[in-house]
Amino acid sequence: MAEDWAGEATIGGLAIPSEPDMVRLRADRQAKIQAQLESQKIDALVLLGSGNVVYATGADSPGEDSGRAGLFRPVAIVVRGESQPHLYTAYWDGVPAELAADHVHGPLFPDLDDGITEFAAALHRHVGLGAVIGVDEQTHPMLRALDGFEWTDASNVLGTAKIIKTADEISAIRAAQRLTELAMESARAALRPGLRQTDLSAIFLRRIFELGATANAIDPIWQVMAPTRAEGPWTIHGDLAFPTSTTDRILREGDVIWVDAGICHQGYASDYGRTWLTSAHPSPTDRQATGFQRWRAVVDAARDILKPGVSALELGQAAIAANDGVRPWLEHFYLAHGIGTDSAEMPLIGTDLGDAFDASLIMSPGMVLVFEPVIWDDGFAGYRSEDVVAVTDTGWVQLSGYRYDPFGVAS
Amino acid sequence: MTGVMALEEGGRVDFTRLRQERRRALFDVMDAAGLEVLALGRAANVRYAAGARQLWRTGAHPFAPLAVVIRATEKVHLLSSWDEGVPSEIGREDLYGLFWDPAHLIAGLREIPGLVQAHRVGTDSLTPFFGRVLRDLVPGIELVDAAPLLARARAHKSADEIAAIEVATSLAEAGLAAMEEALRPGITERALLGAYLEAVAGLGAPTPPSESVVFATPRQGPVRFRYLAGTRTIGQGELVVLAPGALYAGYEGGVARTRTAGGAPSPQARALADRCHRAIETLLGACRAGNVGADLYRAWESTGEPPPEIALANGVGIGTEPPLVGFGRGADARLNEGDVLSVQAWVSEEGTGGFLLRELVRIGEDDPELLTRSARGERNERSERWTP
Repeated sequence: MAEDWAGEATIGGLAIPSEPDMVRLRADRQAKIQAQLESQKIDALVLLGSGNVVYATGADSPGEDSGRAGLFRPVAIVVRGESQPHLYTAYWDGVPAELAADHVHGPLFPDLDDGITEFAAALHRHVGLGAVIGVDEQTHPMLRALDGFEWTDASNVLGTAKIIKTADEISAIRAAQRLTELAMESARAALRPGLRQTDLSAIFLRRIFELGATANAIDPIWQVMAPTRAEGPWTIHGDLAFPTSTTDRILREGDVIWVDAGICHQGYASDYGRTWLTSAHPSPTDRQATGFQRWRAVVDAARDILKPGVSALELGQAAIAANDGVRPWLEHFYLAHGIGTDSAEMPLIGTDLGDAFDASLIMSPGMVLVFEPVIWDDGFAGYRSEDVVAVTDTGWVQLSGYRYDPFGVAS
Repeated sequence: MTGVMALEEGGRVDFTRLRQERRRALFDVMDAAGLEVLALGRAANVRYAAGARQLWRTGAHPFAPLAVVIRATEKVHLLSSWDEGVPSEIGREDLYGLFWDPAHLIAGLREIPGLVQAHRVGTDSLTPFFGRVLRDLVPGIELVDAAPLLARARAHKSADEIAAIEVATSLAEAGLAAMEEALRPGITERALLGAYLEAVAGLGAPTPPSESVVFATPRQGPVRFRYLAGTRTIGQGELVVLAPGALYAGYEGGVARTRTAGGAPSPQARALADRCHRAIETLLGACRAGNVGADLYRAWESTGEPPPEIALANGVGIGTEPPLVGFGRGADARLNEGDVLSVQAWVSEEGTGGFLLRELVRIGEDDPELLTRSARGERNERSERWTP
C-alpha cells in the first residue's frame, strides 16, 4: 500500500502523489522544455550530458564511469513544436515505452569523427539550416561537422525548466531518497572500529540494488573529520576540505564521520548526509549533541520562514542568525542546493554568486532544497547532515527522513 | 602480484614513476602538435594528466576546464579546493578553486602562469560558454582538438599501467566469482549487481566501469543484448550473462562469462557456448599489431554469425578508450603493439538464450596476450578449462 507521506501538500494546486507517475512526469517535463524553447526563441536542443538527456527524454542508461558514459552516450535532440524528443541511444532497453518508434534512433558517438556525418544528417532531418540550437557540449568532431547552425548554451532553457519540479518529480526525488536512507540504515548498523571506509561502501551499494535502485551516482563518502581545521587537509580558502574521496582507511573508535552519498533512481538523484560516530555503542558527547542541536536550529530557522515568495538571501540570513552570526556552511558550497536529474542544481543558496543573486532568487512552489549547513566546533570536529525539502503552495514538505542516529530523531 | 596493498619493498605499481611517464607522454604529444596549453574537462584525461584521486561520479558531464597543462612551465594546474588526494608534483599554488560564479573561475584561470600568453590551446571538448571564456582569456587563441592527442598518449601503456590494468582485471574476476556464487533461480539481476559491487567494494574498488554487469537471457522468444539490470527474477536454466569490470587507480579491467542458472547447461546451451567460443577465438586471432578494425569486422563475418549487435572491441586504459570497433565505427582504427583491448563475442539463439564472452588482451606482433583468466566453462562442469 502506498505510504501517505505528503499529506495535504500541493504544488500548483496539485496533490503530491505517494508514488510518481513516470509517464505523466516525462510529458510534463517535455511541455516545460517546449515552453522555454518557445519563449526563448530557440529552435532545438542538442543534449549530450547524462543528467540533461535523462531530463529531456527519460531515457535510462546504466551507471557508468565517465569514459564509457562519454563514448556510448545517449544524445537527445528536442525540436521546438514537437510533442516528443528524439533519442539516439545504444541502450534500447532504457527507452521510455511511450516514446514513438520514429523518435528512437541508434547511437551517434559524438566523440568520434568516424561516423559524425550521421550526426549531421540526423540534425538536418530535424531542423533547417540557420536554426538556433541550444547545446550543452560541443565535441571537436561536432564543431567540425555540424555547421550552418547558430549554437547557444542550452543552460538557459534547461535551468528555467528544471528549477521548478512537478508534483511527480518531487515524489520521484522522495522515492530515491527513501531508498538511499533504507540502504544507509544497513551501513550505519554495521559501523564499528576496524571496518574500512570501502566496507561501508560495499554494504551500501549491495543494499541499494537489493532494494531496487536503478543506479548509483557517486562514490559514497565516509570522511573522517579531524578534530580541528588545522589537522584536516590544507585548503585554498582556509575552510574545511569536504568531501574528500573514500579509501581503504580503517575506521577507529571515536572517529567522527561525515557521510555523503547519492543514487540515481528512475533518473532522479538523492542526497544523503549525516554525521556518524565510530563505535560499537556510539553515543554523542554533550558537546557533540550540542552541535547537532545547533545544526537542527539552523535548518529549523530557515524552514520556519520557507514558503513561496521568500528569497534565498532571507533564508541564508535566517540560518546565519541562528548560528550567532557565523555563516554555517562551507566556503566552497552553500546553505542549500537544488536536486533533480542532477545531484546539485539550482536553486543554490549562499554561494559566491553573492547577495544580489540570492536576493533575486525567490522561492516558488516546486523548488527542492537540500539544506546542508555545517556546524564546526574547532577541537571537537563538527556536525553536518542534509535535510531535503520541497517548497509547496503554502510552505514546505520534508522529503528526507527524520532519523539522525546516533544523535536521535527530529521532526 | 595483483594485490591492492602496498608492499614494504615497494613492489607492484610504482605510482610515482607511472605519473612521471604519463606527464612525459603528455608533453611529447603537446610538442608534436605545437601546443602550449591543454585545458582538459574529461575526467579520464584529467586523471591521466594530474594523477589526482578525486571524487568519482557516474555519467558524462559537460566540459569545464578541470585541469590546465602549461607546456612552458611543465605544470599541471588542477581544479581542487584542497590538496588531499593531489600528488606532490602539483603544488598548492597550482590548485584553483571550485566556484559557482563563472567570473570567479575565470579569475582563477587568468592567474595560471602561461595561460593568457599562449596561442595554441588544446581542449578535449567545449561548450559555447567555455569557448567564449577561452577566447576572452587568451587573445588570438587558436583552439585545437586535443582529444586525439590524449588518445595517442594514453594508448601506449607503460609497464606500471599494465600492472594497474592487471590488478583491475583480478578485481573484476573477483566480482565475477561473487556473482557466480550468488547466481541461482529466483534471484534478481539487481541483486546480482549488488553482490558484484559488494565484492569489488570490499576489495577496495567501489567504483565500477559500468553497472551493466548482468542480464538473464530468455529461453523463449527473441533474444537481445540488454544493458540494464532488471528486477525480474531469474528462472531455472536461463543463460545469464555476467560481465563485471573494476577500476584500480582509474585503470579498468573487465571480463564476461555466461553461466546457467541452477544446474548444468542444456545441449542447446552447450552448442551456443561452442559458437561463442569459436567466435571470440576468431576475433582474438585478428587482434595483432598492424591489423585494423576492418580485420576484426572481417573475422566476425567469417564466423557466419549474424552482424554484431554490440561492439567487437574497444580500447581500455583509464576506463574506456579509443578505438571503438563496432556500430559501424573503427574500420580504419589501427591496432598497435602494446594496446589493450576489450574484445567480446555475443551470440544468441531463439529458444535457448544468449551467450557473451569478453576478454581483455594486450596486442602483440603475433597472438595477443590474454589478461583475463576466468574459466570459460561452467563451474559445475568437471573441467574448469573450456573444452569445446
